[in-house]
Amino acid sequence: MKSWALFGITRKLTEKFDKSDKDTKQLNRIFKNSLHIYPIDVGNSGDLNLEMMALSAPQYNIHRFGIFFTDSPRHADILMVLGRPTKAMIEPLKETINQLPEPFGIVVFENSQLTGIDIETLKLPNVVAHIKEEVDAKRILSVLLDIMGK
Amino acid sequence: MRLLGVFEKDSKEMLLLQDKNTFFIQDRDSINESFDNYELLKNRDKYIGNGKTEGSGVFNFRYGPVTGGVSDAGVFNIYTHGERILSVNIDPSYKKRGIEKLIIGNDIQTSLMLSQSICSNFALSHSNAFLTAVEDAGNFSIDTTTKRIRIIAAELERIYNHLYVIARLSKGASQNVLTSHLEGLFEESLRTNQIFSGSRFLKNLNGFFIDKNTIGSLNEIKNRTEKIKKDFKELYSHSLESWNFIDRIYNTAVLTGKHALSIGVTGPTLRACSIAEDSRTYNKLYENFHPITKDRCDALSRMQVRAEEIMQSCEIIEQQIDKISSEEQHKKDIDISKISGMGIGYCESPTGLVAYFIELKKGVVENVYISTPSVFGFKAFCDSFVGYIFTDFSFSYDSFGINFADCSR
Repeated sequence: MKSWALFGITRKLTEKFDKSDKDTKQLNRIFKNSLHIYPIDVGNSGDLNLEMMALSAPQYNIHRFGIFFTDSPRHADILMVLGRPTKAMIEPLKETINQLPEPFGIVVFENSQLTGIDIETLKLPNVVAHIKEEVDAKRILSVLLDIMGK
Repeated sequence: MRLLGVFEKDSKEMLLLQDKNTFFIQDRDSINESFDNYELLKNRDKYIGNGKTEGSGVFNFRYGPVTGGVSDAGVFNIYTHGERILSVNIDPSYKKRGIEKLIIGNDIQTSLMLSQSICSNFALSHSNAFLTAVEDAGNFSIDTTTKRIRIIAAELERIYNHLYVIARLSKGASQNVLTSHLEGLFEESLRTNQIFSGSRFLKNLNGFFIDKNTIGSLNEIKNRTEKIKKDFKELYSHSLESWNFIDRIYNTAVLTGKHALSIGVTGPTLRACSIAEDSRTYNKLYENFHPITKDRCDALSRMQVRAEEIMQSCEIIEQQIDKISSEEQHKKDIDISKISGMGIGYCESPTGLVAYFIELKKGVVENVYISTPSVFGFKAFCDSFVGYIFTDFSFSYDSFGINFADCSR
């Protein structure tokens, strides 16, 4: 059996990534080399939360693009809204937006969700992408790269 | 006998019960037995836990619904002096979507889609439980190949969910090499699902007839599961040698078998208490199936059960693919628009038993009750976390494989 550290470096899983997105606008040129994301679940059925885990997989290797997850909205450039909100999550969502430092952007992934309220009625500020159809980790990364202007 | 649910029907309080492989409903007034988890199930949409603790210096540390530690929308009210956890109360209302209400009045096909949208990572289990409930109500059976395809999908669901849980545990212990490789395998398992069903979460596959010619290449699925099994086996043996990982989950969040049974917990949590119960044993198509058990009742045991189940699921998939390849498929004519009656269906999800009670009238759902494993799992988490410290939170919570989407419906 190989030693643990050796096991880790002998397998190269990162894949070449071909960006193929649309309908998003570049946030600000200052985010071209680095983008910090805070995801918030507002009532999705769990698949978007799992896609966040998939996005951290070595196949995507998001750090090479300068993309990182943060543990607090106060450190984030982008708030990633996962799903269509339940009524109870509207206030926590608004409060999370209040905590974001300027400049910031909001990305909404609805993932063809059958439940929840129409997020457009909330009139969220600085929405740079609003994707209604189902997305996977690859598509999410594509959207983020578009926002960065890469 | 296990109590799975409490609901209203014709102004009477009914109980959804399980006695080994028999599932039934009964009027509460006509049953003499009492159930320890009655209050839990009665109040499952309001709170789950072991109550508030008051006293000098005790405060409520409110964790969620927006926190970096838990990706799901839900609130943990943790009562503590500042170190030891005294009690935990969970508020599941933030993710309440009212899907049972949405199902009522809909036809079977729309209801199937709604059942899949309860919890995407258990989408296949929910759809299986819903469809078997309809089959029970309509008193018909489906062809064997479709049943085998459902088994393959259920095992694919188990594989990626178990990988997810073990990766979360590893991440909590800062095992970066292991986590990275597990996340890589997790992504590969989602891609396998996509090849098999066209969906990374195995949605829109299930039905009363699944044509074996419309699903992805079975040979490719077999090769991919073989590779996942081989790679995971190597990673798992490495992980068991990493003492700073094992120390974090050994003897953490202990839940005894007796306590697990009183809560009504099923799945890997129960099997980690040496109780060999698994509803897959009731399905004759699972040949030579023996539930995997461990006996320490802690987070490590739960992880070990899940790890060994990943390899077992890969073997089950290979067996079923071999059978499907050599059998002819015959479509049965089923008119679902005329089904009337009551039915109960179930499926062994990666976290435990999902059960559906439905009432149909001419193919329209008139009443539905959904029993989900996360309700019992959240109670198990609350009870087992008492006496530990907040640093153990992620190991305790993640080891149960529960989530608010499944719990709050």
